[in-house]
Amino acid sequence: MSRRTKPYPTRNLWLWLLALLPTLLGLFTAGVIALGQLENHRIYMAGRLIFVAPLLGVLLTGLLGSILLIHWRAERHVERAIARHRRVAAEERRRFLQRLDHELKNPLTAIRTGLANLAWLPSDETRQATLDSVDAQALRLSRLASDLRKLAELEVRPLETAPVDVGELLQEVMAAAQERPDGDQRHLGLTIPQAPWPLPTVEGDQDLLFLAVHNLVDNALKFSAPGDTVEIRAFEDGARLVIEVADTGPGIPEREAPHVWDELYRGQGARGVPGSGLGLTLVQAITERHGGQVGLRSRSGQGTVFTLRLPV
Amino acid sequence: MMANPSILLVDDEQAITSNLAPFLERAGFEVIVAADGRAALDQVDQVDPALIVLDILMPRIDGRAVLRHLRQQDDWTPVILLTQIGESTERAMALEEGADDYLNKPFDPHELVARIRAVLRRARPGRPPLTSAQRLLCGKLTMNRTSRRAYLEGKELGLTPKAVALLEYMMTHPDELLSRDRLLDAVWGWDYPTGTRTVDTRIAELRRALGDDPDNPRYIETVHGEGYRFVGEVEGTGE
Repeated sequence: MSRRTKPYPTRNLWLWLLALLPTLLGLFTAGVIALGQLENHRIYMAGRLIFVAPLLGVLLTGLLGSILLIHWRAERHVERAIARHRRVAAEERRRFLQRLDHELKNPLTAIRTGLANLAWLPSDETRQATLDSVDAQALRLSRLASDLRKLAELEVRPLETAPVDVGELLQEVMAAAQERPDGDQRHLGLTIPQAPWPLPTVEGDQDLLFLAVHNLVDNALKFSAPGDTVEIRAFEDGARLVIEVADTGPGIPEREAPHVWDELYRGQGARGVPGSGLGLTLVQAITERHGGQVGLRSRSGQGTVFTLRLPV
Repeated sequence: MMANPSILLVDDEQAITSNLAPFLERAGFEVIVAADGRAALDQVDQVDPALIVLDILMPRIDGRAVLRHLRQQDDWTPVILLTQIGESTERAMALEEGADDYLNKPFDPHELVARIRAVLRRARPGRPPLTSAQRLLCGKLTMNRTSRRAYLEGKELGLTPKAVALLEYMMTHPDELLSRDRLLDAVWGWDYPTGTRTVDTRIAELRRALGDDPDNPRYIETVHGEGYRFVGEVEGTGE
């Protein structure tokens, strides 16, 4: 829904008229002096004012007009930005609802079909199998609801921050990755600079930062194949500490890249790979709660680098 | 043999009560159903239930108002709140107002039965629950919940905020099997497969600070493959 506002010049008509006032005053002064000169030839100095007053008036009008024009353009720019932002937000909301609808539809269809089947299933065994499948789908819906709730909570709940040793944190993530069954089928690498000085600490919630980096590594492992390389690295870049998780997996198609952070978004390559579609949204939420930014670079067929930039 | 404990189940959603009531009955409870807060207060007067399972969002009088009313009347019937409110602060407030426990919707009905049993087991008739006590005592261990500080033999323990929150949750749920997922959900606010390591790290921190031997625990017992249990006897003061 958009509310139409009056264009700026009409809204501020009196301001524009006010800008004309100096010119009118200048002309008026010149007129008064001209009349005086006609009556009394001795007012010599005032003769110059005939030209100066209107000139000053025009200059002042020009100045006021320029200020108003700049203000008008700035305001128009802001209005357009707001409108654009609203359009983007509405579009994102529409896409989220579509994805939510999709996430709900499948388990609900399975549940209804399972329940419809129950009435005529011949044996206890098949009935039990149907009940189990209905239960699994109900569980899937529960998990979706609670994951969405937790994500919403994460965006507002207070962070318990303390200085976090990122090198140590990445080593823990690495250890967790190595313990995974698919971990030893990838070439896992960790690079943490020590020279000329070690990485600075980051003020943050250690557990949440662990979760964010771990989710990226988890994705890298999930979407790469045995023999691929997964690298975790960190470095300092000005007032930021950058954490990168890179893989030589299939890469993310260019058109999908901007959407991977969206709630419930699942790219083409993610079909058939287990996941909630909330992992990267969580990574983004955690990073932004820490005043940082997320990013990604990807080349189809070559791999992907996910980046977290955190203030130090 | 003792009669089955009576549970007052309060929820305006009939789909919930019509399925949950028979489930609780099969689990060995006598169930009375109320469809809103007003009806719940009437039932409390009439049947004096052993425990109330109370939904928060209800028309007319909501669950929190019912709870507040009961506690103002000095009625300490154990209450488990059913919440679907996302805000963790809302849940914290509910506990401060005297709820014995809470469970987020959607929940597993078996989990509700386990919670009911646990709350009934630790309920102290006519006395406020541990969840609303200001100070928790267990042997030489003291937890001041207002200042969020823990002391062992009067000496303050240098614990991280998460470890304090974890200890607090465990001490308010003594003798209850607490799965790592449940601890993550209650203390951290999220539960993901990797989170169980996070819990183990904080439990290790608590054990170090408390000088507790995992093989012969005074405070925190490991229940292999399942989670943890606070085994010390906890007393609450300063309600």
